[in-house]
Parts: sequence; structure tokens; C-alpha cells
Amino acid sequence: MMAATDNSAAIVRIRGLGKAFGSNRVLNGVDLDVARGEVVTIIGPSGSGKTTLLRCVNALEIYDEGSITLDGVEVGYLEAAGRRRRRKERELSAIRAETGMVFQMFFLFPHLTAAENVMLGLRKVRGKDKASARAIAERWLTRVGLADKFDSYPAQLSGGQQQRVGIARAVAMEPKVLLLDEITSALDPELVGEVLGVVRQLADDGMTMIVVTHEMAFAREVSDLVVFMDGGRIIVEGRPDEVLEKPSHERLKTFLSRLDSNRKRAS
Amino acid sequence: MEVALYSLPFLLKGAVVTLWVSAIVASCSLLLGVLLGTLACYAPAPIRWAITLYCDTVRGIPVPVLILTVYYAVPLLLGFPINNYADAILALTVFTTAQVTEIARGAIQSIHFGQIEAGKAIGLGFWPRVLYVVFPQAIRRFLPPWVNNLTDVVKGSALISLVGIVELMLQIKQVAGRIYVPMPVYIAGTIIYFLINYSLSSASRKLEGRFAHIRE
Repeated sequence: MMAATDNSAAIVRIRGLGKAFGSNRVLNGVDLDVARGEVVTIIGPSGSGKTTLLRCVNALEIYDEGSITLDGVEVGYLEAAGRRRRRKERELSAIRAETGMVFQMFFLFPHLTAAENVMLGLRKVRGKDKASARAIAERWLTRVGLADKFDSYPAQLSGGQQQRVGIARAVAMEPKVLLLDEITSALDPELVGEVLGVVRQLADDGMTMIVVTHEMAFAREVSDLVVFMDGGRIIVEGRPDEVLEKPSHERLKTFLSRLDSNRKRAS
Repeated sequence: MEVALYSLPFLLKGAVVTLWVSAIVASCSLLLGVLLGTLACYAPAPIRWAITLYCDTVRGIPVPVLILTVYYAVPLLLGFPINNYADAILALTVFTTAQVTEIARGAIQSIHFGQIEAGKAIGLGFWPRVLYVVFPQAIRRFLPPWVNNLTDVVKGSALISLVGIVELMLQIKQVAGRIYVPMPVYIAGTIIYFLINYSLSSASRKLEGRFAHIRE
């Protein structure tokens, strides 16, 4: 079902990425490679550019400088005859269809049932007929533990269930990379586990993922690579045990200890 | 009672005129208003400005002035008069379209940007996003103010008696003038207006129930 892991090739290659909103430079030359089947976690304080980086990968934001390639295809621009132009809406849609994204606030389509949420992209983007789209939707919803919720509307589901539909909607498109943007931040603490369980399963199945999260224990467990960003740059990059357990960089240390004390205060 | 029974055939004749004029105005303004409301959200800036200008201008003009302006302006522009029904329908449609445009624009713009991003994220192009993500959700927000507007159209159609169209309002006046007992005639007329608008709003409540599952 999922692509066989071929760790030699980077499926996402980011070079010298720069992005500004007005005078506010949010990305300042980011380089990152994500290999097929790899799980890369991005951590960092808010405003560090991690969500913007994620949104550049599926062209929800278009970067100003540098390059992102997805399976060898430049994401935001078309390069022809030495000239570079922003991709048109139609081209961006085609690229976005090859990536999956799960949002912090779920953003399920409230007028569609769980199954229909998953089916929409299969029908209108992949051009599948209703029966086969339904079959794929049911298979994925079953895998995320919602076999009894096919015909429920989002408003009838808990936050954790909604987010699992969000994951099913993204992975049913068989994306080359799955982007998770703080997907447990809007959930009640007791619902976080069920969502992370689904992500863990996807990681085990070899899904390539870029994850923005504040769940450090989870990051340590599933990541092949942890990236710490601050001020629009990657400050530290390495194996989870190196980065999270024996942090050497000063800013990273401060960030981790602040997270830690917040958690203690909360509990 | 006798008076009411005498006046009833005249009033019903007027009500039929009121109804079909309203139906034409409502249908035309629905089509044009949804089109303009959509353009007001997604078209290039000059088109958006033009639509805003149109809506603000039209909404600033009292409907009777608009009706009489069209009635006198059309012959000047075309060189010959057209049917007074056409004038009245044109004026009411111009007015109502501005209102429907604003309702449609508001309904579309109230859909959370996250819905559009979620559509983009699964690779939906612009039109599929509008048709399958935005519009189905916007309908629910469009419907209540639009039905409200429909009842305004029915009531507003009373003003076309200004250009000599004998609709319900003018029938009431004429019958009352003929028999010198105004009260029963006006009461009967009021009941007819009420029945038309009451059936509209109860139909709308039924329709809204069909969209009740769309909650955020």
C-alpha cells in the first residue's frame, strides 16, 4: 500500500528557503532533506517559522527565495528557459494533491459526513467513481478506528475523532508526504493519545511525514530526525536522542526547559 | 362580511399580479445576485469595486424613486416606451439584486478560510473548492436573510401601482374607493399579504431544517 522505503532518495528537498510577510522575515535560509519513509519533527518557539515552513511544502504559502522540490518537482515556481515564474493555481492544485496536510483546527467539511470528507478529494481530484471512493474511505476510516462513524457529521464527533477523520482525508489521497501541523494542540488532553496512536501507526507503515508538534515525548518516539527552529532558521538538527535528551545549544536548552516547566505548572 | 365577499374577486385578481411580478423579480434577482455576490468575492478588484458601487448606489435610492426613474428614463434611452410591467419589474429587480448580492457576498465570505485551505490541501482547484466546499456551507447562511428579502419583494411590489399596475395594493384602494367602506377591504387585503408572506417564511423554516446538520 505505502511506498517501499528507499532511504537513499530525498522526497522533499529544501534549499535556502526564504519567506517574508511584509517586512517580517519568517524564513531565513532553511535547508532540509526528508528521505522517503522518514519522519521529521520540527520543534521551536512560536514565531520561529515552523508552520510557515510546513505550509510552503504544500504551497499554501509561496516562498520568496530558495527552492523546495517534491519528488524532484519544484513546488512554488516553474523554471523554464532560465526564467522562474510563480506557479498558476491549476499547477499548484496538482502539486497539493501529492501532499497531505492535517490541520491544528481539523477543518473538516461540516456539510459532509466522515466518509464524504474522505471521498471528496478521491472523487473530484483523483476522478474515482463513487463506489471505489467509498470503499477507500471506509478502509481508511476503519484503520483510524472509526468504522462505526462513516455516516456521522463532524459536529457529531469528538475532537479526537474529527482529527482522525482529518488524517484519513489526507492519507486516502496517498500523498508523497504527510504534513502534520500541531494536530493535537486543539485537543483535550485525554484525546491526544488516540490521535498520536494513528500517527505512530502511519510512521510504522513507512509514511513520509513532516510533523510540527509540542509533544516532545511523541517527537522522541516517532522521529528519525528532529529539527529545532528559531528566528526562521534551523538551529539544531539531529537524531531525537541527541537533540532532545542531550541538548548542547543554548537556545534549544532554554526552549526545552521552558516547555518542561510549563508542563509541570500545568499538572 | 358582505363587503369582503364582494371585494374578494378583485383582491385575488390583484394578488395574482403581485405574486407573478414578485416571482419574476425574485427569480431574476436570485440569479443575478448570486452571480454578482460570487464575483464580489472572487473577481479582480475593478469588478469588485464596480459591484460595491452598484450596491451602495442602488441601496441609497428609495424604491419609488427608482421605479419612476426607470419608468421615465427607459423611453428616453430607447427612444420608445416599453410596457409598464417591464419597467416595474426592471426597477424592482435592479433594487433586489443589490440586496441579494450583499446577502450572497456575506454568506460566502463568512465561510472560514480554513475550509478553503482544507480544500486546497487535498488538491481541489478553484471551482471545485467553490462548488463543493464553500457554496454548500454558504447556502445555510444565505437562506434566512434571503427569505426575509423575498417577503420584502412581495411587500415592495405594492409600489409598482405608481406606474399604474393594478396589483393587490391598487385593487384594495380602488375597491375601497368604489364602495366607500374601506376598513373591511383593507383588512381582507392585509390578510392576503400576510398569508403570502407567512407561507414563505414557514417554507423557509422547513428548508433551513434540511441544512441543520451543518454546524461548525
